[in-house]
Amino acid sequence: MSLVQFFASLVVGAPVIGLVMLGLSGLLQRPFSELMVDRIAKISVGVGLVGALGILGVMLWTGHSVEVLDLGNFVEIGTEHFHFHLEFLFDRLSLPMVLMTFVLVGVIGSFANIYLAGDAGYHRFFLSFSMFLVGLLFAFLAGTIETLFFGWELVGLSSALLIAYFHERKAPVENGLWVWGVYRIADGAFLMAALMLHHLTGEGEFMRMVSATAWPEGIVRMDNWSTWVVGLLLLVAAAGKSGLVPFSGWLPRAMEGPTPSSAVFYGALSIHLGAYLLLRMGPLYSESIGLRVLMFSLGLLSAIFAAMASRVQTDVKSALAFASVCQVGIIVMEIALGLWYVALVHIIGHAFLRSLQLLRAPTLLRDYRALENAIGGRLAAGEPFWVSHLSSQRQMQWYRFALERGYMDALIEGWVLRPFVKFFRVCERIENQWLQKLNGVGSGQEKQSARGERERVSE
Amino acid sequence: MNIASRFFSQGGEEPESFLVAREQVEHAIEHAIHYLPSQGPIAVFVHHNTLHAYEHLPFEQGVIEGWKQYGAQPYFTEERYRSEYQRGRITDEDLDCELGRDLGVGGSDRVVFSTTRYALRRMMLRFPIRNGPDEELRWFVSETDALKLFRSEAPQEVSKLILDRVEEALLAGGMSRVELESRALQWMHRVCLEGAGLVGEVFNDIRLARRHRDILFESRGIDCDSRVHEQLIRFLGSVTDQGFAQWMLPNRERSFYELFQDYFGVAAAFHPKWLQLVSRSISEDRAAGRTSMDSIVHSLHVLGVREYGVEEFIESTFLSLPGWAGMLWQLESNAAWTPRPAGKGTLIDYLAIRLLLDRASLRGSLLEMSEADGLKALGDGSLSMERLAQELRFHQRPGVRQTVEQRAFILFQLAQLLGWTPMDLSSLKSAEWQRLMSEISAFGTMERRRIFHLAYERHYRVGVLDALTAHGECEPEGEIPKFQIITCIDDREESFRRNLEEIEPRVETFGAAGFFSVPMFFRSVSDAHYIPLCPVVVKPQHFVDEIGQLSQQELQRRQAEARRVLGQASRRLHLGSRTLVAGVVTSLLGSVASLPMVARVLAPRLTSRIRDLVARVVKPTQATTLLIERMDGEVGACGLEGALNRGFTHDEMANMVERLLGDIGMSRFSRLVFIFGHGSSSLNNPHESAYNCGACGGGRGGPNARAFALMANDYRVRRKLELRGLMIPEETVFVGAYHNTCSDSIEYFDIDRLPPSHHLEFLEAKETLDQARSENAVERSRRFLSAPFGMSPEEALRHVEARSEDLAQARPEYNHATNAVCFVGRRSRTRGLFMDRRSFLTSYDPTLDGEGCPVLTRILQAVIPVCSGISLEYYFSTVDNQRYGCGSKLPHNITSLLGVMEGAASDLRTGLSQQMVEIHEPMRILFVIEQEPARVLEILARNPGLDRLVRNGWVQLATLSPESQQVSVYESGAFEPYVSRGVQTPKYHSSAACYGTTRDHLPIAQIDSPRTVGGEMGGVR
Repeated sequence: MSLVQFFASLVVGAPVIGLVMLGLSGLLQRPFSELMVDRIAKISVGVGLVGALGILGVMLWTGHSVEVLDLGNFVEIGTEHFHFHLEFLFDRLSLPMVLMTFVLVGVIGSFANIYLAGDAGYHRFFLSFSMFLVGLLFAFLAGTIETLFFGWELVGLSSALLIAYFHERKAPVENGLWVWGVYRIADGAFLMAALMLHHLTGEGEFMRMVSATAWPEGIVRMDNWSTWVVGLLLLVAAAGKSGLVPFSGWLPRAMEGPTPSSAVFYGALSIHLGAYLLLRMGPLYSESIGLRVLMFSLGLLSAIFAAMASRVQTDVKSALAFASVCQVGIIVMEIALGLWYVALVHIIGHAFLRSLQLLRAPTLLRDYRALENAIGGRLAAGEPFWVSHLSSQRQMQWYRFALERGYMDALIEGWVLRPFVKFFRVCERIENQWLQKLNGVGSGQEKQSARGERERVSE
Repeated sequence: MNIASRFFSQGGEEPESFLVAREQVEHAIEHAIHYLPSQGPIAVFVHHNTLHAYEHLPFEQGVIEGWKQYGAQPYFTEERYRSEYQRGRITDEDLDCELGRDLGVGGSDRVVFSTTRYALRRMMLRFPIRNGPDEELRWFVSETDALKLFRSEAPQEVSKLILDRVEEALLAGGMSRVELESRALQWMHRVCLEGAGLVGEVFNDIRLARRHRDILFESRGIDCDSRVHEQLIRFLGSVTDQGFAQWMLPNRERSFYELFQDYFGVAAAFHPKWLQLVSRSISEDRAAGRTSMDSIVHSLHVLGVREYGVEEFIESTFLSLPGWAGMLWQLESNAAWTPRPAGKGTLIDYLAIRLLLDRASLRGSLLEMSEADGLKALGDGSLSMERLAQELRFHQRPGVRQTVEQRAFILFQLAQLLGWTPMDLSSLKSAEWQRLMSEISAFGTMERRRIFHLAYERHYRVGVLDALTAHGECEPEGEIPKFQIITCIDDREESFRRNLEEIEPRVETFGAAGFFSVPMFFRSVSDAHYIPLCPVVVKPQHFVDEIGQLSQQELQRRQAEARRVLGQASRRLHLGSRTLVAGVVTSLLGSVASLPMVARVLAPRLTSRIRDLVARVVKPTQATTLLIERMDGEVGACGLEGALNRGFTHDEMANMVERLLGDIGMSRFSRLVFIFGHGSSSLNNPHESAYNCGACGGGRGGPNARAFALMANDYRVRRKLELRGLMIPEETVFVGAYHNTCSDSIEYFDIDRLPPSHHLEFLEAKETLDQARSENAVERSRRFLSAPFGMSPEEALRHVEARSEDLAQARPEYNHATNAVCFVGRRSRTRGLFMDRRSFLTSYDPTLDGEGCPVLTRILQAVIPVCSGISLEYYFSTVDNQRYGCGSKLPHNITSLLGVMEGAASDLRTGLSQQMVEIHEPMRILFVIEQEPARVLEILARNPGLDRLVRNGWVQLATLSPESQQVSVYESGAFEPYVSRGVQTPKYHSSAACYGTTRDHLPIAQIDSPRTVGGEMGGVR
């Protein structure tokens, strides 16, 4: 095993082992002490960080711009031409992201260790948290689209679990479910894109698929039409995960969890996952001006919307959440413009800044007082420059638009969710009718379905 | 729009005579206000009795009313008390004693056979009565040993007695014990089943559905409140915002109701139906020219609320979002100091708005139901609750109904405990069974919890009273102490004082309310606004500024300018990071933020040190002074409340000094007298103000201590005092100081003014005080799970310092948690008692008080309301943290700079967080006053406010005789002499030996190091 392979397995292995240990202890109902959990979390992050730094050193030393850790096929069904290929790619894009992940997860982990000390859900938190870390690493380091999808899913699952952390109350569970739902839309789009890619190129590896050379250079070997479809699907996936328009509504909902988990979601890591996907698939987009225009407009729209929404929020966490979307929108614009390195620096800088802001959000009152004292008076509030030119009624309408978060959730609920549920209700009714016919008329059946419906309504 | 037209068609159907009168609505609102939480904006947190609305009732009744009103627990759960009983925190003696006292003569009534009511209840308390659904009971009876063996807890002699009698009755001499036992139990169970079948239905408590939403929710699982809340909470946040949002609600000067009309008045096609209904009703209201009050009357009419139900309906409508409604009322009535108080009539506006939304949501929910339900028609018609209940076939839920099997199982368990034989039982007649069963249900879980709670309180109370009886002998005063300190009465200062006394026996300590009778509006050099530093009930009449000393003023002006520039820059940065263009710049440079973040989380204390060093450049130097002296023509300087005065006259100063020294009974003076104000600083803690000095209205008491010292040192004030007969020796110097109870740091004020003759003594005293605060840190650390045992004083000090600077720390300190006692009297009566930071200590010398006890009256007027407020807020936040408290701190989210929500949107959470109360033992505070009972009764008689708290049992009261060891306990209007149990109070040679390595609560102990000033000296260090 070469030095690179060794470091690479540290990066991937340590967090996975950490996750397995925490998971097993829960599964076997032999919970570790809080001290032990803390140690496991710290060691897995620390070892991973050392590995990542090691690879960075090696890459700088040798001048290689790509290193690959190939674990071969996880599943292979020869006759069906199916294989699940586990491959990790260390390059100029993934390595900075991985380093950032380790630093942030490490810091926020040690924050949470004190913050959550003695809480009933301490173990649960760290289990989800390490699952989140593993998911992120898989997503960032993925060399194949299936690996990326695997990481992507883990991140989604652990996010939903952490949002619903306080599961004894109703709101966190509802909101966790909502976020999970939005993620499913993104996942669906992603999955379709992945299948299409496979279908078109016969490969899931980024290296061969979109680029013959190391990121960021690359050539796409697909025809124009396929590029459009795949590009669009990936854009939907990225928008869902990064909370771009029209999916922005999930962000404030994600703050139901404890502060540190909020910090990692919309503050720092998972919100940038969509942007990362677009960066990774950058070569694909550079082929098509149309796609780039589309991407740019999506970013612009999100940025403008989020800047407005952020200004009217009256609670800290929502304001910060929308501020994050605003920056992610700009990052997407940068990607569309081909400023990939700027976008990368932007992502990393933004992640650090926002995490710090979120971690100290509960100090808001004190900070405000300090500012007031320094300035020597009340802090002035205003309105955006363009608003003052509007009539009073228009002002109120725009204000409402911003405060109601662009009515996006209401629209999704009205136009996507309800028809969806309605459709399946109808299906259920038809099915029941058929069943009744097949069984002979059974009154018990009917009762059961009525009860089922009631339960669903109460959900 | 079809729906809407149908909706309007019914508006005028009923004659106007059904309308509820305006006056009645007004009255109902006024009445409902009492039930709202009285917590104001969180930046100034004042402890209140959570159930202040019920203070006119006895405590035990009040908590039950609270349970009915808020659905919140009145006591701990029964399981919790049982586990306290298991571990000895409640003993059999406590239970027997409280049960006997509670039953009085009724305790000896026969219930059945020879069993008295007392015996029955006693057994029900000692042993858990298990129960469950029928299926579970059937399983339990058939699959376990329930019918083969006696309950394991059943007393041996009782089961033996039953067996003997059964053996006799069955003439089964040769039967083996095992078989006999199972035969007896089976018989017994059968008889119980038969008996239980003879008894009529017994209902448990009924909770009524009070609003339309409750009916819909209970019968269909549809919560039409949830979307109303979603809209309302966002809108309330905007309307009440105190300056967080950069873009504020337009036209904020308009009334709440008008803003609502502007905001919700227009509905677009894509809005959900119910919001369209809202905008329709708004335009209808507008067309009819209704004010908010008219709108309420109209809404009540539409909702079919009749006169007799108005009060309850309005109450419960407010209580569906109690936190927000309460905050609106606070902003309207009690918040002139906030940047944006609410206008008059805001709460009425809110009710109008709420009812409009409720109406629309309810109607919308009904209209959305499927046709098949037949409920859709209801959506068009009148919305009276009766009609709704009828259509939905809703019946008030009759609580939990006990089945025959459940009743039988209870009887079966009790029979084993109380020795009721199957033969006796089978002889019972139907009426006797009925009587027995109703006796049992009369002592349901709520009653049992009540007795458990009384026993829980008693256990601690007798410990305190025994210790005081055994300990508190009065000793003659010895020589003048080395130095004296006056601290706040705060329970957190108890350990500081005790540790100081242990380290230096020749120190005398006093406790007084922490504003030191200097009520003022204060502004420091670096502050923008004046803050009131006095109890909330007092309105300060004076402004005091901190200014730079003459030689430093130029420097300070430059520093202030630098602070302003930096402040503005930092504000731009904060806001900028949330905007479009500036956000890009800040984010691109954001990696820089990684440094402070990593540093702050991983090394909080070091980071704060470095930050302080850097900040020193712009931080004002210590070279300041207070403008406490009135200057000519300086009247009505600031105009916050009209003509208020800047600074005090010498007469006013003399009054304040005389008052404080008189109150605490300080009649002799050391060369150095320290006055300690206190406060607390912590990060990421929206409730920070709750940790500060309660007597300073949630502010930090340092400036009060400093001002007092300046006054008491002023020769002109002393001259005036001399004329009044209060001689302060010339060589006595007062030193003001500030104690941070979180980091245990001490800051001394104006020490440059100390005469050189006192320098050496000051340094010595400072060293002693430093030692005391580190010992205090060690003692405090025992409560913190993350603090290891066996820390040296220096390590402990570093530990508590780090806590106060740690962003991640959810428990910077435990504040008033565990508070249980308030002692009013001479320190010599409690000195040397280890009270475990659980006691407020107010100094009062009964021997110096005049006729009618004017001093004690004054003290009690302040101390009883304040301490009972703290104690009761802790009580309620502990027994039901979700409803009375504000739940876990972890998902808290500051909103509108007013309070905290849970997560993205919720009610404003009031009360204390789980992290604040987790170690608290909920008990009503026990006041022990060193005075004769008769005189205390006189004071109570003259002060109805105090009398109400005491008579209704919201606090416990006892007296300690000034001349002897006699303790008397207040009970229903009179004092009863207390007889000590004669249990030895544990003795230790130091506090550290007493608390050792336990994190749990400790009983009161005696520390037998030399403890009075006049006693033997030395040998301690």
